[in-house]
Parts: sequence; structure tokens; C-alpha cells
Amino acid sequence: MERSLLVKELENCLGKDKVISDPVDLMYYSYDSSFLARLNRFIPDVVVTPRSTEEVSAVMQIAYANDIPVTPRGAGTGETCGSVAIKGGLVMDLSPWDTIEEIDVANMQVFVRPGVIHAKLNERLAEYGLFFPPDPGSSIMCTIGGMVANNASGLRAVKYGCTEQYVLGLEVVLPNGEVIVTGGIQSRSIKNVSGLNLTKLFVGSEGILGVITKIRLRVWPKPKGRGIVMAVYPSLDDAPASVLEVYQAGILPSGIEILDQSAINAVNMYRPEINLPQGEAILLFEVDGNPSSVEWEGLKIKEIASRRASQVEWATEPKRMADLWEGRSVVATAAARVRPDGSRVFAGEDISVPLAKVAEALRSIRSLGQKHGVKVVNYGHIGDGNVHTAPVIDPEKPDEVEKANRLVDEIHRLAVTLGGSTTGEHGVGAVRAMYAELEHGPAVKVMQAIKKALDPKGIMNPGKVFLPEGE
Amino acid sequence: MFKDTPVVREQIKKCVRCGKCRSVCPIFNEYRTENYSPRGQVFMVQMLRDGVLSVSNKVAAKLGDCLMCESCSSICPSAIPVPELVAEARAFITEQRPSTSKKLIFEKLWTSPGLLRNSVAAAGLADSLGLRSLARSLGLTSILPGDLPRAEKILGKIPRRSARSQLAAVMPARGTRKTRVAYFLGCGTDLLQPEIALATVEVLTHCGCEVIIPQDIRCCGVPHLANGAKTVAEKLVIHNLNILSKLGVDAIISDCASCTSTLNGHLYRPATVIDKLKNSSNSAPTLAEKTIEAANWLKGKVFDLTVFLVDELGLPTEIGRLMNSVVVTYHDPCHLVKAQKIKNQPRKILQSIPGVDFQEMVGADTCCGGSGTFGLTHYDLSMKILKRKIESIQNSGAEILATSCPSCTTQISYGLREAGLNIKVIHPVQLLQKALIQH
Repeated sequence: MERSLLVKELENCLGKDKVISDPVDLMYYSYDSSFLARLNRFIPDVVVTPRSTEEVSAVMQIAYANDIPVTPRGAGTGETCGSVAIKGGLVMDLSPWDTIEEIDVANMQVFVRPGVIHAKLNERLAEYGLFFPPDPGSSIMCTIGGMVANNASGLRAVKYGCTEQYVLGLEVVLPNGEVIVTGGIQSRSIKNVSGLNLTKLFVGSEGILGVITKIRLRVWPKPKGRGIVMAVYPSLDDAPASVLEVYQAGILPSGIEILDQSAINAVNMYRPEINLPQGEAILLFEVDGNPSSVEWEGLKIKEIASRRASQVEWATEPKRMADLWEGRSVVATAAARVRPDGSRVFAGEDISVPLAKVAEALRSIRSLGQKHGVKVVNYGHIGDGNVHTAPVIDPEKPDEVEKANRLVDEIHRLAVTLGGSTTGEHGVGAVRAMYAELEHGPAVKVMQAIKKALDPKGIMNPGKVFLPEGE
Repeated sequence: MFKDTPVVREQIKKCVRCGKCRSVCPIFNEYRTENYSPRGQVFMVQMLRDGVLSVSNKVAAKLGDCLMCESCSSICPSAIPVPELVAEARAFITEQRPSTSKKLIFEKLWTSPGLLRNSVAAAGLADSLGLRSLARSLGLTSILPGDLPRAEKILGKIPRRSARSQLAAVMPARGTRKTRVAYFLGCGTDLLQPEIALATVEVLTHCGCEVIIPQDIRCCGVPHLANGAKTVAEKLVIHNLNILSKLGVDAIISDCASCTSTLNGHLYRPATVIDKLKNSSNSAPTLAEKTIEAANWLKGKVFDLTVFLVDELGLPTEIGRLMNSVVVTYHDPCHLVKAQKIKNQPRKILQSIPGVDFQEMVGADTCCGGSGTFGLTHYDLSMKILKRKIESIQNSGAEILATSCPSCTTQISYGLREAGLNIKVIHPVQLLQKALIQH
């Protein structure tokens, strides 16, 4: 179908104000936060911004009839090129569709449209003493739709798990425009084991199976108390060992974060007044719950951490907690500034390894950085083995780009070798699709078969999650 | 060359396109699509730099969709000065496609205080004709497409007398002289809100300041930067730096958030100008040296009026009670709260006045959509942003809205008038002046 005809048909269907077709305007949709999108410009043929299930369905029918690739997109804050139309076609920007349809307090659930911003949802839920626990670093800008599509999590996943644990049901527009509801058409139940679990199939499917248009989320009572333990370890190996000892003491913190030496140095360089103590690693344990159990758990963690750490502090006073957490809050920013002539790039940034291999992973990444001559800063969610690596380069120098790409490839392979995954929470998108075979083996064939069953024409977000059969 | 300017060379590559800026941009908030995001502005400047796109009406319009409010740069993890990048790109566009009317306005009129004052006074006298006649006589109509009949209402009634015409060049301190300050009287306060200038001088002299109003000072350069006349802005910065440094004063004060932002180098780094002077073979070495010396001298001496009153002088202890108690709320000008991180001092002044019931409004630090000439060039968009601000002011229950920026004052006054709300807009110093009179 000719582009001008497609634009016309979409305009007739949605109205002109929901179709973006000017060549300059389309360029803004050529990127997300990934390194790949920085090195390339993937300009879509047209962008639509539907605001109803009917509109999404109508667009899908047009795309299906004309074999036009469709890439659903939220805020475009992803780091995998997942919401970028690498094969051209149509980008469906769902971020303006941001209605919180219903907060069902009595049934502890909420119905939202895909464009709702994570922080805004939690702001509204707080009015009822509730919250949606997964807490990505991008809370103020990422959408719930994007979180569901990528099964996002963040720094509280160690206790609260990932987005999938909270999705009770979804309304999905299939590639042919048909609309289904998973988890029961009328259901407001929390438990439901009837039928195949299609909800879980769509959560984390990164837009390759259909378009998520409505989300039924379980919400939890917001804990009343919170406390922070900061522990400084002279030896890197003692950090994961301490984490294990805390678990063995019967405590499940709501967050356990690590800054390795590279991150400590980056923070101190960026904000000298924070003055993080020197060590091979700093751990931050966050506990939440009712105030008396918070107190008990915090003191217990302090006692356990003291066995290995050179310095430990426990705080529940808000100002002090904020001070202790400050280093973690700014580390992503600090990583971006370790080189005044460069910046961090989002690539190889999200591997996940077994708990017992965290120290080994961090050490190996450091050596790989040295091998390729790339500065790296490491931090992450040690509680679940999720390591965030920030390569820092001058992205406008081709030789540095090449080095970074080689480093990132080795980081991804390292993760699989260590018994981990190429991605813990950011997703696969286009940047990790080539590792699907390495990571999943013959299971990829099953994934391809599922994709084919739901999307026989292969129009949904092509080139993502795994390579098509034969490539 | 545009490509070689330090900000373009060094800052674009720092953008990781994380999208955090989407959460704070007032313009993005209205459209909600990526082609209005601040990271998109950085991307667009990059496309222009790399020659992927050339200057066109569309590109110029896209780069025009920025209030330069610093909301994005103040939250950016990589601290990218997005407005500075946009200013460079706009200057590049002007260079590629010079506009006669812009030239007239920004190179001639707005660099000559006398000419500007006369033109505004003329418009004031011919109030029934209003901005339309002023705009016609200045050639503004060509850059204010279609919006002028509506946009002219924003300015409201133009005062007949400028502040300068009502104030002496030197005003002695009342009582013992504590300090000697220069009052940088910006164009907006001088021509549109002279009563703020009168209050400023009265309060400063009351607090023991000898106040000098440098007569040959010119515009701070913000309107020029915003409108693609960067080289003119540079000349103005150099001119002002050299004048201010020779006054022999202890401090330089302004009630205008944009003026102090420029003088303090937040909006436009004097370092850039100085670097240019150093590297330019055309400029006389003495001018370069003098300007560097002047910029060094100026460091730490430029104060927003509220900061000077609270942190440097200390608020007067003998503040009287206002005759009638009033509910007051405060709007943070972007160039104060985001560019200079000044938040507490204006509130402290208001809270120190007996009879003021200070109520914080929701979203006090969100932009009002005024941003100098933006309201005139992007009327509809500006009004959408303003509407949210007006609702917030109304919900605060305030009878008085205080703010410290002439552009915000003009914009918000218009919004309140249009909404039929009887809420006065003042600078905190005007309430302080009132309270001092009561004493």
C-alpha cells in the first residue's frame, strides 16, 4: 500500500489529529534510549496515537489487511530498541492514552489504560493507602503499558517481584484487530487458574503478539514503615555473602542494592559532598513493613552485615535515610559523567546472574572493560542478581563505538555462561534478539510457533525478542 | 560556526534519550507526543548539526516549540543545557534565513533603550490602538502570524511612564548607608511594571542601600537569545558586563528572574562570550581583557532582589501589619527556580509580613507559558499552559499572587483577567513595601 494512501485511510479512521505523517515529525520516533537507536535512525512510515480500543482495533485491521508492520510504543524510555520500528511501518504511540479507569479499592485492583505513568498511578493509589509495588528507576516517565510489555521490575523486585505478579488480566487487540480479554472477561477475582494463562503470555511479550489496551493490576497495601542499612565492604566477595546471610536469618528486604568500586568512585567524583566510604562494594538494604518489624529487621541486618563490613549504619529517620540512599539515587547520573567528553551508553546494561555468581560477574565485567579499553560503572539489584553496567564512551568516535559493541557482546555471553540471562528487567527488543538461541535453545522454536499462531503475517513488532525462523 | 560552538560540540552526545525530560516539559505536557519532547529538541539540533536536515520552515517551527524554561535541563541526569542548544540552533536558522523584521526588532529596537522606551510609550499613549499599531510600526506582524489580535491583549494596559523616568540615577540610603548597589532595571519592569521598580528602590533604600540605576545599561539579551539573535545577545552581555563592573558598587540587584539568570551566566554563559573574544582576531585585545576582568568581578555579585533582601541584608525587623489580612500564594518563575534554584527567599519575604496568610499552590513551580515573547508567537499553546496555572491559583484560595518575573506577571495577570478572577499579581517586594509603610 502506498504511504500516502495509508496515511489517508488512517486519518479517515482516527481523525487527522491522531496521525503523524510529516517527515520531520516522524524522525522523533526513530529512537528510544538504546545505544542501537543512537547509532541508527529507524524512521517509521507513520505514527498513530489511538485513544480507544476501537481505534486500536481499526488501525490493526488496516495494518493486517495491508501487511504493515506495527510497533506499539509507550514513553520510549526503553533501552532495547523495543519500541522503535526497525523494519519501518507504523508506530502506535500509546503514551497519550493515560486514563486510570477505575481504582477498585474494595477488590484491591486498578484498571488502567497503557499510557498511565507509573509515578502518577502510585500518587493516586497513595490516596487510598495502596501502591503498585514494582519500582523502575524510570518511574516518573515510564508507562504502565511499557512496564507490562517488558515485564519491568526495578529495585524492589527482590521482595515484591516483577510486573507479572500484579497483572490480573489484560485487554489485548490481536494483530487482525480482534479484541480479547485475558484472566476472565468479567473477572475481578484475584485468584484465577482457569484456562491457559494468556495473561502471563502477553506480559513481557514486547508487543510481538498484540497491542495491550487495558490492564487490570493487583495493588497492595502501602507499608507504613521503612528503614535503610548501609554497609561498606573492603572485599567484593563479602557483599553477596552478607546478602545470603541476611536471607538465611529469615529476612526478605524490600531492596538490596550494590555499588561496586567503579560506582563508588563515580558517585564521589560527581558529587564529592556525598563522600561515600571507600571499599570494594557498598550494599544498601531497604526494609519495609510495620514499624516494629522494620526496626527488628534493620537491627538484625546491621548485626549480620557487621560480621563482614568495615562500616555499617542503620537509619529510619527520613533525612538520614535519604542521605544514605543518595549515592544509589545519583549513581546512574554519576555514571553518565565519569568522562566529561563522553557519556554512558545503554547497552549490555541489564544482565542477570545467579546470586552466587554476582561477585564473579562484576569482576569479569571489570576485566572485560580493561580488555576492550572501555570505562565501565557497575551497580544494580544484588538481591536478585541483576547487574547494571554502564559503558562510558565518546559515542561520536567510531573506534570507541566498536570497542563498546565488542564489550557488550562479551557481557551478554558472560551472563549466559554464568547461568544467568542477557536481561533481568529491561527486555530483549532488537538488541538482544540474536542471543535468544544461545539462551533458550530449542525453546525458541516454541516461541516462534506461538508467535506464528497469533500473528501469522508477522506484522507485530518484527525483529524483536527472537530472530524469525531461518535468520 | 554553529557546529563548532562548545555547547553543540560537547553536549549533544551526552543525551542518552532517557526521556526523563518528558515528565516536566510544559509543552510536551500539552501535546503528549514525542515530537514535542525536550530530548526531541536535542535530537533536532543534532540533525541540523549533522546536516541530516537543513533549515526549513518546519525545522524552524519545531525548534520554536521551546519555552526555554529550563524545566528539562534542571532535571536532566546529564545536565544538558537544552535551552542553550535550542538558542544556538535558532541563531543558526536566523543566520541561514535572515528576517528583516527580526533584525529590526532585535538588532535595532531592543538594543537601544531609548528607542524601545519611546515605542512602548507611543503604544501606551495610543492605547486604543494597542499592540497592533505598535507591532505594525515595528514590523512585528511578520513574526506574529495571525495571533496578534488575540495576543495583544496579553500586555494589558501599557503604563504611560517608564520607571526610569520616575527614578533618579542615584538614590541615597535612608539613615546610615550600609551598602551601595546597582539596580539592573530590566526592560519588562521598566516599561510594563514600573510600580515594581518604585517598590524595589523604596525597600532597598529603606534597608540602608544607596541605589544606583545605571543609565546606559541595555537589555540583558534573553529576548535576543530566544529569538535567534545570539550575536546581538553576546554584544549586549559584553556591553553590560563592562558597564556594571565600573560602577564601584557592592552588588548588582534585579527583580527580574531572566535578567539575573543572564548576568549570573545560567541562561547564557559569559564564558562562551569570553572564549569567543579570546579566540577572535577581530576583537580588540583590550576589550577581551576588560570583559574577562569584568566577568570575574561580577562573579558572586549579582543577586535576585529577594535573595539580596533575605540572605545579604536580612529582612527588616520593623515590618508593620497589613491593614487587611490577605491570602497570598507564590508562582515560581522558571528562570528563578529552575535556572537559579531560588525557591525559599521570595516565600520568606511573604511569610515575614504580618497579615499575610501564605498558601502554597499545587504546581507552584510549573511554567505559566509566558516566557517573554512566547505568548505572542505561540498564543494558543501558551494559553493552554496558562490555563492550568490559573486553575491552580484559583484553587489555592489566594487573593494575591506574588511572583518575581515581569513576563510571568504579565502572562498571569492576563490569565486572571480573562478568567474574570479578582486576584492581584504583585512582586513580593511590593507587599513588603506596603508593610513597611504601615509600620
